[in-house]
Amino acid sequence: MEEIRIEHLSKDFDGFVAVDDVSLTINNGELFSFLGPSGCGKTTLLRMIAGFEAPSKGRIVIGNIDITDIPPYKRQVNTIFQNYSLFPHMTVFDNVAFGLRIRKTPKPEIKDRVGEMLALVKMEDQAFRYPDQLSGGMKQRIAIARALINKPKVLLLDEPLAALDLKLRQHMLIELMNIHDAVGITFIYVTHDQGEAMSISDRVALMNHGKIVQEGPPDDIYERPQSIFSAYFIGETNLITGEVIAIEDGFMQLKCPDGNGGSFEIGSTFHFAQVLGRELTVSLRPEKIAISRSKPRVQDDVNMLRGTIEDILYLGTHTQYIVRVGALRFRVFSQHKRVYFDDKALDWEEAVWLFWHNSDSWLIDEIQDNETSATEPPDGGVNHYQRSTKRPTKV
Amino acid sequence: MSSLPKQNWNLSNNNSSRAESKRNIASWALTAPVLFWLIVFFLIPYLIVIIYSFLTPDIYDVKFEFSLDAYRQAFSADYLNTFYHSFSLAILTTLLCLLLGFPVAYYIARAKDKLKNTLLVLIIIPFWTNLIIRIFSWRIFLAYNGVLNDVLINMGIITKPLEIMRTDLAVTLVMVYVYLPYMILPLYSVLEKLDFTLLHAAMDLGANEVKAFFRITLPLSIEGIFAGSLLVFIPALGAYLIPQLVGNQKTLYLGQVITYKIKNIPRNWPMASALSLTLLFFVAVLLILLYALYRHNKSRRIA
Repeated sequence: MEEIRIEHLSKDFDGFVAVDDVSLTINNGELFSFLGPSGCGKTTLLRMIAGFEAPSKGRIVIGNIDITDIPPYKRQVNTIFQNYSLFPHMTVFDNVAFGLRIRKTPKPEIKDRVGEMLALVKMEDQAFRYPDQLSGGMKQRIAIARALINKPKVLLLDEPLAALDLKLRQHMLIELMNIHDAVGITFIYVTHDQGEAMSISDRVALMNHGKIVQEGPPDDIYERPQSIFSAYFIGETNLITGEVIAIEDGFMQLKCPDGNGGSFEIGSTFHFAQVLGRELTVSLRPEKIAISRSKPRVQDDVNMLRGTIEDILYLGTHTQYIVRVGALRFRVFSQHKRVYFDDKALDWEEAVWLFWHNSDSWLIDEIQDNETSATEPPDGGVNHYQRSTKRPTKV
Repeated sequence: MSSLPKQNWNLSNNNSSRAESKRNIASWALTAPVLFWLIVFFLIPYLIVIIYSFLTPDIYDVKFEFSLDAYRQAFSADYLNTFYHSFSLAILTTLLCLLLGFPVAYYIARAKDKLKNTLLVLIIIPFWTNLIIRIFSWRIFLAYNGVLNDVLINMGIITKPLEIMRTDLAVTLVMVYVYLPYMILPLYSVLEKLDFTLLHAAMDLGANEVKAFFRITLPLSIEGIFAGSLLVFIPALGAYLIPQLVGNQKTLYLGQVITYKIKNIPRNWPMASALSLTLLFFVAVLLILLYALYRHNKSRRIA
């Protein structure tokens, strides 16, 4: 058992609390991600595991060994740095061999193991080039080989793909997963990119203001956010607040003011007790909502709202509609399958029906004020609302 | 660069050659002042020195008779000691400047911006005072009845004043003081560009602070070490003022000997010239060697 236990870890920079009482266990061989906006403390946490930052409080334990006070060069932990940090005055071979030479490994063994590592990252033929002659993706591979040659128990990756372009990033992501499978050690991955974290990780810890907000498998965080921050940081969502007026058949009914003096009712799942009579917020992912010009056939447990299209944004894989219901705005993603559509495409200012199943609304134990409209982000979030530029002139 | 195709924007051949000659005249006109300066104040004086070194000395001037005596003497055992003194002083000064300058440059390079600027100004401030005045203040400081001895006696650390003035120690001390900034500044400029996360990377891979320094910091600052060492070594080799003002007459350095050959009567212009040129020769050989080493290093990285 070589699990990593982080116990009540805190880091205080002259009064600024970067990491605030974090406790966590990362399993052996897991690909674990810390995800969060910049300044959330994820990099500080990583640097404490690597040993470059001393915790103000708490302990870090790998297996049975408390490494809190062990200097970085004695930890069985290696790091992939954000800008690779390859040694510019050494060849690829010497870069990869660095860790072995420091440990005074015999020469033939160095040659064999560097060869193995370069083969693992498919860079055998680049051994005698210098880092400034390599592309970003190649540097990345060398950084991986250099870190893995010491056979660490844990590999730390600090935003490793941030400097690469999109296509290469997607490619390297798969490569990283393959390498993880091949070496079988624990990877701890730090990123602000939710897409990267979602696709690569076994488990994700979402961080904000130095604390872990939510922790679990990627789909769990996406489908079952425990807070408004989780719902907003990962993917996009509609937040609708109302009063719980009824509970029946495992669902609850929420009565929501529409901001224009009227109200509408929506159904939702709920996963905590004593919700009746309380004011709560529901998170509804834009892709869960169907949009249609004609009224759908009424079914059980399906919510239906009447709204007006305020904006249309064509995004290739899907179209984003902003639909006004009362004074609230709903963001809706619709793929171009035309299952629910009439032949004619939906148009600006057109009256439409929005509908979704009760089980697709997810109740959060927090309140987001409806007055700010359903598509406004909560405090500190990013406003995802984009207006399309191409608005057709009316004939 | 010479392999670049020549750009020719003019359609007519005739026009282009005229434009080219115009451009040539313009570039000559721009270079002329510099050329004039170098010829009159550098090349001609050097030629005079070279010619004089092959002449025969007279009491005040030279006789225009060819002679190799000056060189014969310069390479004879008489001057071996002088060359030895000068070279060992230059090497010692360079090494001490490097040992003292490196930590200082490193500290400045890692300091926060505001502190960094203050420290750099502090390094440069001594240049605002005339060198002779600075050397004289050292004389006051180190003298038998000087500040240093006063303080040490009053503190009860010593009972009899130390005799530092007019010793080789005093020469070395003042040399290091004067040349230290020339070492710190080039070192600072390379260390400032050094990516300190590389040290983290080295430590991450198992190198302790000492190993990280010798394998990462030192090789990556080699250019600054070269530049600083040259800036200290070359002027230190010809040092005159400092040995003259704080040194003794037992240990003579090349700069002093050359001056005496011109100043003391009977004068020996050829000897002074030959010694100067010999010194120049050694410096030139050293520079060529260092340059070759540097080129070798560079080409290995680019190949």
